[in-house]
Amino acid sequence: MKRLLTLVLAFALGLAAAAPAHAEGTLDKINQSGVLVIGTRTASPPFAYVNKSNEWVGFTIDLVEQGVLPSLSKKLGKPIKLEKKESTPPTRIPLLTSNAVDLIAGTMTDTRARRDSVDFSITFFVTGAQFLVKRTSPIKGIESIANRRVAAQQGSTNAKIIRERVPTAKLQEFPDQPAAFQALTQGQVDAYTNDGIQLYGLRAKAPKPDDWKVVGDFFSYEPYGMAMRKNDSEFRAAVNNGLMELIESGKYLELYDKWFGPKSETPYPLTPENRRFLIMQVVPK
Amino acid sequence: MSYKFDWSVLWSGESGGWLLQGLATTLELSVLAWVLAAALGIVSGAMRTVPWRLLRGLATFYVEFFRNVPLLVWMFFWYFGVPPLLPEAVREWLFDHGLPFWAGMFALGVYHGARMSEVIRSGIQSIPRTQFEASLAMGLTTFQAYRVVIIPIALRLIVPPATSESLNLLKNSSVALTISVAELTFQTRQIETYTAKAIEAFTAGTLIYLVLCVGIAIVMTRVERRFAIPGLIARGG
Repeated sequence: MKRLLTLVLAFALGLAAAAPAHAEGTLDKINQSGVLVIGTRTASPPFAYVNKSNEWVGFTIDLVEQGVLPSLSKKLGKPIKLEKKESTPPTRIPLLTSNAVDLIAGTMTDTRARRDSVDFSITFFVTGAQFLVKRTSPIKGIESIANRRVAAQQGSTNAKIIRERVPTAKLQEFPDQPAAFQALTQGQVDAYTNDGIQLYGLRAKAPKPDDWKVVGDFFSYEPYGMAMRKNDSEFRAAVNNGLMELIESGKYLELYDKWFGPKSETPYPLTPENRRFLIMQVVPK
Repeated sequence: MSYKFDWSVLWSGESGGWLLQGLATTLELSVLAWVLAAALGIVSGAMRTVPWRLLRGLATFYVEFFRNVPLLVWMFFWYFGVPPLLPEAVREWLFDHGLPFWAGMFALGVYHGARMSEVIRSGIQSIPRTQFEASLAMGLTTFQAYRVVIIPIALRLIVPPATSESLNLLKNSSVALTISVAELTFQTRQIETYTAKAIEAFTAGTLIYLVLCVGIAIVMTRVERRFAIPGLIARGG
């Protein structure tokens, strides 16, 4: 029995010691393989999702393809291909630190706690948490969810805020959006909270969008950024340059219009404030 | 630029409390599910060996149906599929009183009951038929023969595979996080959310499962020795 325990302990220590080693920077890695590997979502329309014709598309993916990739190609002097892998809130940081992906490009909120583990690009989208409820629901926002059953996405900042601000709300956290929405549809929960834009996306994809409404003022601030391994400033600069180029050239607005414009499936007007905020992040050449 | 470990996230702030809460939920879920699984397993395992075709058929149906569908699907079935079949008052009551936990418990218990059933059947079938015949010759009914002779012996024979199955059940309880049960794996993810220290959080979870499982294995070894019938089984060690 003693020997067994020693073995168990040795295994555990081995696990702990298996810190991923990064001998080289991400740019070198991409230069060698010719491929940028991103971790992104499969069910977060319109940022990254698999559409009806089974293509993996979205606003964030477009930003990578039309901004980050050209910037990397320019920097490395050769065409770079894109490879997409699925990442979810609990897996995205481990995927990055284990070198499985080079960039998380989905719907990840930039937070100070996360900056202890990863670095972020400039902010490419700003939203805040709201609630999706049935059209007839009396819920109007975070002020009316006390003692209500509320679904949230596991590993999201929204759940954290609700737990702190409305401890009497009965929070049910689901690993993915479809399960949470199913629970809302069947009445297991009274409301589903997520970043406002994602709720609009979900509503647009619902069989009967008119049965649902998005309510409440933003009760959180969610600036989306692309995450990468820490302390790799060369790579980070290349990613940021690509994004700034997109904003500066006006291409960002075209893409915004494509995914969030009045004719898109998820109309979400860019407020003058947010527009100004995006533009002011672009530093001079 | 390698990953910087910071193990203090596991005991600073609320993390320690969350891990304990998660551990408590995992144990509660697993123990209740195990009781259900053991009861279903013993009854259906025994039913598969009795000399009545109808009972055998029923038990076979239960085992094959529940064993051959993935556990994840059963989780969704009990959480999403069952409530709409209930009367509205019952449904609303359940929604307000921890439906995820009970759905998870039934999913786990009924699924593992089917697997446990096979373990018990193999135990029963490894007992020489003469034991059963001798019991009947002593004047016991079939039910009594099972209750006082066959099942008590079978339960002693199947301790090793039943232990395996129980450990599987404990570990499979983590699937309940898909229907929002805040068990151990869920809490390790929660720590990851708050601290962005995924590797530390997942390692803590791994170690807790490991310690739990090794602990159960040790207890079961003792149980096996304690209840062994001298001379019935040849054993090494």
